[in-house]
Amino acid sequence: MFKRTDDKITSAQAAIFLTNTVLGAGILTLPRGVTDVVRTPDAWLSLLLGGVIVMLVLLIMVKLSQQFPGHTVYQYSRRIVGTVPGAFLSLLLIVYFIIIAGFEIRVLAEVAMFFLLEGTPIWAIVIPFVWTGAYLLFGGINTIARVYQIIFPISLFVLILCYAFSIKLFELDHLRPVLSEGLVPVLKGLKSTVLVFTGCEVAMTLTAYLQHPKQAVKAMFMGIGIPLVLYLLTIVMVIGGLSLDSVTTSTWPTIDLVRSFEIPGFFFERLEFPLLVIWMMQMFCNFCSFFFNASLGISQVFKLRFHPVVFALIPAIFISVMVPKRINDVFALGDAIGRMGIGLFFLVPVLLSVVLIIRKKGLKQSV
Amino acid sequence: MQAGITFVIPIGVYHMYKSLYFYVGSGKPSENNSASSQTAAPPDKENAAEPEPQQLRPDAVITGNLAYDLKLIKAAIGQNSDVNFREFVVRGFQARAVLMYVNGMQDEEQINKQVMQPLMMMDKQEGRGELLPDRLSCEYVKENLLPLAQISEAKDMKDLQESVLFGYTALLIDGMPHALYVGLPNGANRAITEPTSEALLRGPRLGFTEVLSENTSMLRRQGLNKNLEMKTYEVGNLMKKKLVIAYINNIVNQDLLQDVTERICKIDMDYIAESGYVEQLIEDNYLSPFQQTQNTERPDRVISALLEGRIAILLDGTPFALIVPVTFSMLLQSPEDYYERWLPGSLLRLMRFGASFMALMAPALYISFISFHPGLIPTELAISIILTRAGVPFPSVIEVMILEISIEILREAGIRLPKPIGPAMGIVGGLIIGDAAVQAGIVSPFLVIVVAVTAISSFSIPMYSAGITLRILRFAGMIFAAVLGMFGTILFFLLICIHLTKLKSFGVPYVTPFSPIRLGDWKDLYLRAPLSLMRRRPEMLKTQIKKRRGK
Repeated sequence: MFKRTDDKITSAQAAIFLTNTVLGAGILTLPRGVTDVVRTPDAWLSLLLGGVIVMLVLLIMVKLSQQFPGHTVYQYSRRIVGTVPGAFLSLLLIVYFIIIAGFEIRVLAEVAMFFLLEGTPIWAIVIPFVWTGAYLLFGGINTIARVYQIIFPISLFVLILCYAFSIKLFELDHLRPVLSEGLVPVLKGLKSTVLVFTGCEVAMTLTAYLQHPKQAVKAMFMGIGIPLVLYLLTIVMVIGGLSLDSVTTSTWPTIDLVRSFEIPGFFFERLEFPLLVIWMMQMFCNFCSFFFNASLGISQVFKLRFHPVVFALIPAIFISVMVPKRINDVFALGDAIGRMGIGLFFLVPVLLSVVLIIRKKGLKQSV
Repeated sequence: MQAGITFVIPIGVYHMYKSLYFYVGSGKPSENNSASSQTAAPPDKENAAEPEPQQLRPDAVITGNLAYDLKLIKAAIGQNSDVNFREFVVRGFQARAVLMYVNGMQDEEQINKQVMQPLMMMDKQEGRGELLPDRLSCEYVKENLLPLAQISEAKDMKDLQESVLFGYTALLIDGMPHALYVGLPNGANRAITEPTSEALLRGPRLGFTEVLSENTSMLRRQGLNKNLEMKTYEVGNLMKKKLVIAYINNIVNQDLLQDVTERICKIDMDYIAESGYVEQLIEDNYLSPFQQTQNTERPDRVISALLEGRIAILLDGTPFALIVPVTFSMLLQSPEDYYERWLPGSLLRLMRFGASFMALMAPALYISFISFHPGLIPTELAISIILTRAGVPFPSVIEVMILEISIEILREAGIRLPKPIGPAMGIVGGLIIGDAAVQAGIVSPFLVIVVAVTAISSFSIPMYSAGITLRILRFAGMIFAAVLGMFGTILFFLLICIHLTKLKSFGVPYVTPFSPIRLGDWKDLYLRAPLSLMRRRPEMLKTQIKKRRGK
């Protein structure tokens, strides 16, 4: 009882794990990303729609994973489509995770350099961050999930606090008219709203670690539901507070929103500082999730020990952080990641599910 | 190139950590050689016998021939000047007898009245008609002659010699092949006083002393419970000491108990001076700055911990008992939280959480705000701070370091000073130096406020050893802040979170009510819920009886 094996997580932990994986860069980038495309205040509609789509995607992933209890996608993909194609698919997923991990840190470093540490070289920000992540990873999934459990309530509290105070600026008129130009812009916005949910692929590995795999669907829906609600709140508050035009022109609209009001008598006066703090912690969680999944993938595909893989990935991630030259490259990379995510979705869960169904139903094979 | 550095350094750090861990751990018996020293007791006996193997056979028995026995004993321990042999004649039987004791450890009056008197004054006529046996037997002496409650027999010669040296008064009678302990060791003891390191305004004034039997009796006297079990172990190879594990049999988790017992049995040291030795030898992670056992002088604290399902370890010769397993929140709790009504108790506890955060982070935050982000604090405050810092020639890190280090020195010096000088040093150190440093322009007045608040905050932590941990970590936080500002401070906070999450005390996660979340235990975390609501024992300890109340 006291010497439990530490590689199982409870459903609540899994939900928070997924939440912390998805909720991250989007808090700051999402409002501009969506409104840039939609160009009407209906951005929140596309987010809602995007969320529903992602939930369906998630359902497929979880159902697929539940066919192989205790196995991650890296392990069961080879059982479905064979060793080499399975390893290839897993590798795609791993590369994808490494690129996202690098992207997350890059965004973090850009924000940190812009708001907190002007003139600090980027490596000085990135390297300690990666190291701290590696230290967390050594503890295994149970430790990671528990650290998330500490960080998430703090983040949630501060985030809600920020939005609660920005109600002062909120004007419903900024969100009107609804569907002024029909559904077309909303559908166009889908592209970038689905992007903020990149990372939900970790559900395919998380399910394997659940203590009660039967509750996986519930846990994962919770895990995606919380960020969906928070993102929705972000978009509504930011657009409602700042108006559409200023959102599209600012780089980090959420911070601008929080900066634009002062709370007299409060020590910090502005909530921008706490927001940045929790956002950084949230980014840390984000990064660690992808880092963990990439390391796990490599160690399972090539049957290596976990710790050396983490060490080997540290420079890989560092290089992927340094690849984009300017901040516009970073945003371009973000879009690219979104497209990759969609591609991967068709390649991995859909393909695997189809093959599995054909083999099970059609050819009556036992997999 | 940078990627290469990024790659090499953590591997280096990791290997350094590993090797350091093994190096530090090499002094402890690891899992591998546990089989060789399963129980501490048997090898002890042999080790202790080593200094005098020539004088006596290790399995020597007491023959009953007084002259021979006495010669043997004198050869073994007679050279000690403080060992006394009082020879006399048992009157009724005309048998020679000898009393052996160490100066200053016998109870003079009791020996005279209850041992010497009956033996020397007794007449055959006084037998009141009873027939006396021709020879003295051990049973007869015990049952008819000596009016003592505490009387026991020596097992063999070696046991006899050791016990006499330890302070027992032993009686040998010619013709009787047994030795009797007629007096318990009775050395000089300290009186029971109020626990100095954990004084309370409200609550029992009772503190443990250095005598193990008194300490265990204090625990027993806390209340009637036949399930309070105490098991005695002997620790130390060269100088043996008694160690008691106390727990409540029908509450404690048996796996936990077994774990603790195993670790106690594995202790391999020639002398255990204080319970701090035990703590360092049984803790889970010996490179962590956080303590993994709680030490206390208060019997009431021990008993309430036992009732929560924890285990107490008491060692002879120290007033500090250890409580395991410990969790982070316990370090910020005081028994007074429970003795006061719940509202003040909760508020005080909340305040302590705030204070410990201040004690840990305040200087780091000061550095990162002043050196890196003056824009994040309100403008007027920033201006006034910067104005006061105008004459200070150092960067804020150096400034904070100067003051923090001198405060730490002041504290360390203050502990060891005799009581009458203490306040004087406080005035010199705190008031005069602080004021002069500001006047001289070495530090800014605002910093003095920060450092003073930090110091006071760290005083408010009820556990002294937990306070030390925070003091160490505070300096680490200052370095992080000095290098990377707010970002460094966040990293520092994350590192502490990660470390605490990884840490375990006897298999119980260190930060358990926070994560893994056990909402049931939150009633006793930030807040101290009303007693009527605390119906269950802490979930984290997985006790046998979950409920605290009858119904």
